[in-house]
Amino acid sequence: MNLTINERSVAIDDAQTDPRMPLLWLLRDVLQMTGTKFGCGVAACGACTVQVDGAAVRSCVTPLSVLQGKSIRTIEGLGGAAGPHPLQRAWVEHQVPQCGYCQSGMLMAAAALLEANRDPGDADIDAAIDNLCRCGSYPRVRSAIKAAARELAQRRRASRP
Amino acid sequence: MKRRSWLLSGAAAGGALLVGWSVLPARSRLGNAALWPPAQGEVALNGWIKIATDGAVVLAMNRSEMGQGVHTALAMLVAEELDVPLARVRLQQAGHDAIFGSAESFVGFLPFHADDREPGQETLAFRGARWMTLKFARELGINITGGSASVADAWEPLRLAAATARARLLGVASLRWKLPVAELTVSDGVVSHASGPRAHYGNLVEQAALSPPGDVVLKERAAYRVIGRPAQRVDLAEKCDGRAVFGLDVRLPGMVYASVLQAPLLGGSLASVDADSALRQPGVERIVRLPPLGGAGAAIALVGRTTWHTREAARSLRVEWRAPPSGALDSKRIEAALEAAARDAADHERGFAFHSRGDSKAALAGAAKRFEALYRAPYLAHATMEPMNCTARVAGGRVEVWAPTQVPGLAREAAARVAGVARDAVTVHVTYLGGGFGRRLEVDFVAQAVRVALETAGRPVQLAWSREEDFRHDFYRPAAVALLRAGFDAGGGVVAFEAHSAADALEPRWMERALPALAGPVDAPDKTTVEGLYDLPYAIAHQRIAHVATSSGVPIGNWRSVGHSHNAFFAESFVDELAHAAGADPLKFRLDLLRHRPRHAAVLTLAAQKARWGRPLPPGRARGLALHESFGTIVAQVVEVSLADRRPRVHRVVCALDCGVIVHPQGVAQQVESSVVFGLSAALYGRIDIEGGVVRQQNFPDYPLLTLAQTPAIETHTVASALPPTGMGEPALPPLAPALANALFALTGRRLRELPLAPLLASI
Repeated sequence: MNLTINERSVAIDDAQTDPRMPLLWLLRDVLQMTGTKFGCGVAACGACTVQVDGAAVRSCVTPLSVLQGKSIRTIEGLGGAAGPHPLQRAWVEHQVPQCGYCQSGMLMAAAALLEANRDPGDADIDAAIDNLCRCGSYPRVRSAIKAAARELAQRRRASRP
Repeated sequence: MKRRSWLLSGAAAGGALLVGWSVLPARSRLGNAALWPPAQGEVALNGWIKIATDGAVVLAMNRSEMGQGVHTALAMLVAEELDVPLARVRLQQAGHDAIFGSAESFVGFLPFHADDREPGQETLAFRGARWMTLKFARELGINITGGSASVADAWEPLRLAAATARARLLGVASLRWKLPVAELTVSDGVVSHASGPRAHYGNLVEQAALSPPGDVVLKERAAYRVIGRPAQRVDLAEKCDGRAVFGLDVRLPGMVYASVLQAPLLGGSLASVDADSALRQPGVERIVRLPPLGGAGAAIALVGRTTWHTREAARSLRVEWRAPPSGALDSKRIEAALEAAARDAADHERGFAFHSRGDSKAALAGAAKRFEALYRAPYLAHATMEPMNCTARVAGGRVEVWAPTQVPGLAREAAARVAGVARDAVTVHVTYLGGGFGRRLEVDFVAQAVRVALETAGRPVQLAWSREEDFRHDFYRPAAVALLRAGFDAGGGVVAFEAHSAADALEPRWMERALPALAGPVDAPDKTTVEGLYDLPYAIAHQRIAHVATSSGVPIGNWRSVGHSHNAFFAESFVDELAHAAGADPLKFRLDLLRHRPRHAAVLTLAAQKARWGRPLPPGRARGLALHESFGTIVAQVVEVSLADRRPRVHRVVCALDCGVIVHPQGVAQQVESSVVFGLSAALYGRIDIEGGVVRQQNFPDYPLLTLAQTPAIETHTVASALPPTGMGEPALPPLAPALANALFALTGRRLRELPLAPLLASI
């Protein structure tokens, strides 16, 4: 099968995989894209969050069989040729990560949130970001999401004719 | 030349803490160039520092980064004394030489009371013991990232190594330009003179390596441009774009993956396994039987093409496990036995007395009023976000290990033992750790990986635990029970305090697993069982703090803040009970007992002031406070809480602390936030139940953790200090549970003496 990952078409060797294989393990063990993390295997922690057609999806329980024709974005694709995503810039400026293991999932969940909601309030952030973090980065995640939302809004205003 | 005088910088008048240093020549802590493996274009000036010909500074990094910010803090020490921007410092994993070993964490094991350890007023006994321990630790050179000791350990040697390097570089410039050193300035790694000549470190280093340092002067605090200033963590960018490599991210050509199945019953062994069906599954290669290794019990590993293939196939393994001969463990039975042991110790003056002063028995008997309360804390899991894992390759008589480990030297020993090779034949690569919290002080996962690698014909194998295995095969924070007693005199003063506690002693067990060469035939008294109880700062004339070390058979280990994690809850909740019984304000009650402890009083006062203690709160909210010292750092916290539908909501946590000189202010704030969130999870929800020998909690849905939505506003306030740095990885954790419980008492009138708190509230 072919999957679209970070805007590129990736040919998946059927001999290496299995339609039941969760996307997480395709990414990590077959494609060697280790940015997306394994935390629990039961969609409880969010470390494995990627975007599928923009929505935040937990890749540890998402089998390859449902992904045909969908567009997948991982942490490796969050920034672009033009530089880091405003979320990544905000993450650095607010010094969000500590151990960093949950952060790929946090960032992808935040990216999905900002694509669906340009100006999330606290309740929106509470509802959308239920990823687990053992290091206590939560307060800075919240601040960084708001900062990134502000930067994106500024960019939109700046690019209006 | 005042050879020793530079050692006193930063310690102001005291100097007392440095007795140990003055016995060991400072140069012996610097090592030499031979400790580095050869590298093109880089010249070593000592065992810690290399300079590249392009002027970059390379620091031997001997500590593991698990989120606590140690890479950044240590790099800042070097950037400061070498006058280079922090971004110019590159880290290279240190070797295993003794200069990279831990010392302060071993001093932390010494059972000395706060009275003996007050900086600037240490008793002779403590200074002697500290000297001996430092000397011993330096000889052993065991490298541990833990005990909130990394910055304390690095404070002298890293600044000295960098200052010595700088002195040599300046010396070369001075000779080359025939200008006095005193007239040279360094900025951004470039040495210059007002009259014109300039050279960056890379131009000077080759000659510097051949010249002696001459006079070395450490900077005065007033001259600091890096230490104590805002700095961007050195690991930030790669932790935001997926590039950071954790243990589970190691990828090597030809690597295979292994999943592990361990006995569901703690202490169980393998009776039989039928792997026919599993081995016929796609992507599966072989099965490896693992004997008990490095503290792990018997297990089965399935090796295959991806983690998923091996996990899938493991489901068709038919395994029979044998229960341990001692029978199935049960946490309820154990906790009941702990209570009985604590009561017995209290009633008959039993247990090992770690601290005794006056005559507490008589004082209690003669007290005008007496109080007694029994406190309890459960087993807890570490639950690091990255589950246990290790990658290993055994080929050509050499062993290579990639591990997220807090103990690279002990990992090397374990790998060498399992593979049957000399330790020099083992290379350990330390990756980033997705959380440590003391779990990765263990070497079980390393031993397992190496054992499997013996059967993969020289190919590297990544052994990875599932989350279920991780929950069920932890080395848990021990369950503990304490019976506390206090007596008031007729004037309302606290005259007596007794604590009789019972719990397993974890350090002898940890030593057996990780440091078998040091484990003795008989358990030495383990001070961590009473830390936080025996060393209270309060002025109470008659005290007895004793502990009964039990041996329940549950695998136990170091969990963030160790004994303080439960003892602070016991002590600070009880002190709060006494305050309320005396009709006194909890703040004033404590301050009255801290008249001889200005540092503690200052921290407590700062927290209260910032939290507006005593000022009205919106209806339905209450505050609680707690004060606790651990790992040399004093912390006070005020928690604001409300209850809705019998569910607690924490609104704000105000934290004040004294950790000596602060190296990385943002790092300190991050550790406070980290400890508060970690502490709230434990205080509200954390418990591990063992039933029929099996740990009931298997994955995150069974073990609730605080979420972003539940996180309060967290404030960090620091007391300015000139004392050498003490740690922040753990100290902000212990006061959280009692501050919260005290707030809940203020709110509900109900005293909670058991953790976790949320289930108790549900029944109010």
